[in-house]
Amino acid sequence: MNSGTEKIVLRGRKVIGGLAEGEALVSRKPLMGWGNVDEKRGFTTERNHPLYQVPFKGKVLVFPEPRGSGGFMGYGRTRAYGVNPAAFVYREGCALTVLAAMIANIPTVTGFDRDPLEVIETGDYVIVNGDEGIVEVFKGGLQRQS
Amino acid sequence: MRLTDEEKRILDGEQGYLAQKCMQFLVAYGEAAGAERLVDIDGTADLHPGLKSSWVPDYRITIEEIEEAAKRGEKFKVPTFANKPIAPGFVVDGWENCGTWPNSDPEYHKKCLQNIKPYIKMGMVPTLSCNYYLVSSYWPTVGQHCSWGESSAIPWANAILGARTNIDGCFQTAYLGKVPAYDMHLDENRVATVLVECEAELKTDMDYDLFGWAVGEAVGLKVPAIVGIGKPTTSQLIKMNSSLNTGGQVRMYHIPGLTPEAPTLEAAFKGNKIKQRITITRSDLRRVYEMLNYASTDDVDFVYLGCPHYNIQEIQKVARLLEGKRCKTSLWVMTNPWTYKIAEAMGYKAIVERAGANFLSGTCAGEMRGEMPPAAVMATDAAKLNYYMTGHLHPRKLEVWYGTTEDCIQAAITGKWKGEWR
Repeated sequence: MNSGTEKIVLRGRKVIGGLAEGEALVSRKPLMGWGNVDEKRGFTTERNHPLYQVPFKGKVLVFPEPRGSGGFMGYGRTRAYGVNPAAFVYREGCALTVLAAMIANIPTVTGFDRDPLEVIETGDYVIVNGDEGIVEVFKGGLQRQS
Repeated sequence: MRLTDEEKRILDGEQGYLAQKCMQFLVAYGEAAGAERLVDIDGTADLHPGLKSSWVPDYRITIEEIEEAAKRGEKFKVPTFANKPIAPGFVVDGWENCGTWPNSDPEYHKKCLQNIKPYIKMGMVPTLSCNYYLVSSYWPTVGQHCSWGESSAIPWANAILGARTNIDGCFQTAYLGKVPAYDMHLDENRVATVLVECEAELKTDMDYDLFGWAVGEAVGLKVPAIVGIGKPTTSQLIKMNSSLNTGGQVRMYHIPGLTPEAPTLEAAFKGNKIKQRITITRSDLRRVYEMLNYASTDDVDFVYLGCPHYNIQEIQKVARLLEGKRCKTSLWVMTNPWTYKIAEAMGYKAIVERAGANFLSGTCAGEMRGEMPPAAVMATDAAKLNYYMTGHLHPRKLEVWYGTTEDCIQAAITGKWKGEWR
């Protein structure tokens, strides 16, 4: 069963340039920082959050928007501990997402022509071209060619 | 981003190395944000004094560089106020008997104070508080551009004062008096896009705290016009602003007839049709209340009050409830250093301390990152602190009760949680 993976292209606005790819980790709930992100281990510690303790190291972290304290920067500071995501992809942001992306210094795209949360699911393979503001989504992940 | 000739010269280093470094940050930040230009701050700025008054490490202005600038006699370009110190957060008043380490160590206290001195020399007013705007004796006025950095304070600037700010106050914006002009600085982003109708009768301070959370969760980053919330007090607005920016990210809202940019509901929407309506009912508040009560045992070890920092009315209320009583649990009552001195002069500090509690200023249990009296169960009257403390202590388990200030004081005196939904 390998009749070609469906590829969807999203066009948005560059926040931070560069190229990255990886498996998507999608948070449908907004992400919150300060005490509720463990920047040394790279996961959310927000109680009740669907991604509680789910590591995002190396993943393309997809989320709708930020919520809460300026401590949202913790998502960026994961870089200092080598547990940062490969890229950020988000629907809508504010100063918090921009500054966190600058701290992480990883490809980051937002402001898309369609809602990335409606397209991307956890496990999809995603290529993020920060410079062009283009995100390519391979539904169901990369399948091995036989 | 388009820079003015003066800004280009700063970037080229004509005004010195420090200005150049600050401008490099502002340009990178503005480009990442999609801003087309910088705007001069004609209002105010704030920053977290300490070792990390820059947001992005790649553009950090070090404490040594700040000390040198202070020695050279350099000043912040705009009126600049101090949020709570971070990196590290420390107790400004009342640390001697706080009983936790390292804050009870005089050497630690001295060192922390040392780190904020160069900022003061450069003109930063040492308000040292998340709600510094309550004691700053100086506010931006309607339409003025600011650079504030505290999530719970942002709606005070945007909504209550009608000034304009994103969450980006830092050394660089205060030093250059400039900030990227995008998002809340631009007219079109300040218009209401969703109508929030409150069907619950909001009475207590807790009601406004819960309401803020429910609205934040429902609207996220949108700008709501809020109707049906009566005449909130200063304490209630501050609580609401804090939980609007915990349950969500509401940087700006309109309350027709109360906030300056919305004399009427029509003005809040700038004549646009109302596309989205949300109704908040008593059951929405109850759902948030139940979510915040995250504990299984009635035994309480630690009670924390003062998130955001208590104002003088809240301290007075606590002093009246505590007068002649004795606490069974640890109790911390936190305020800003200026209000601390007034409360001390009024005898409230003595009342709180005679009850066996700690009266403190300048930081919070969250910013102290788990430095607090040993506790498996804590109680607080702040949705914000409640929701962050379990994360701050992770992976240690912490149970948290949430209720009114009265519920919390009763828990401190009896050692038992008796709060319930009313």
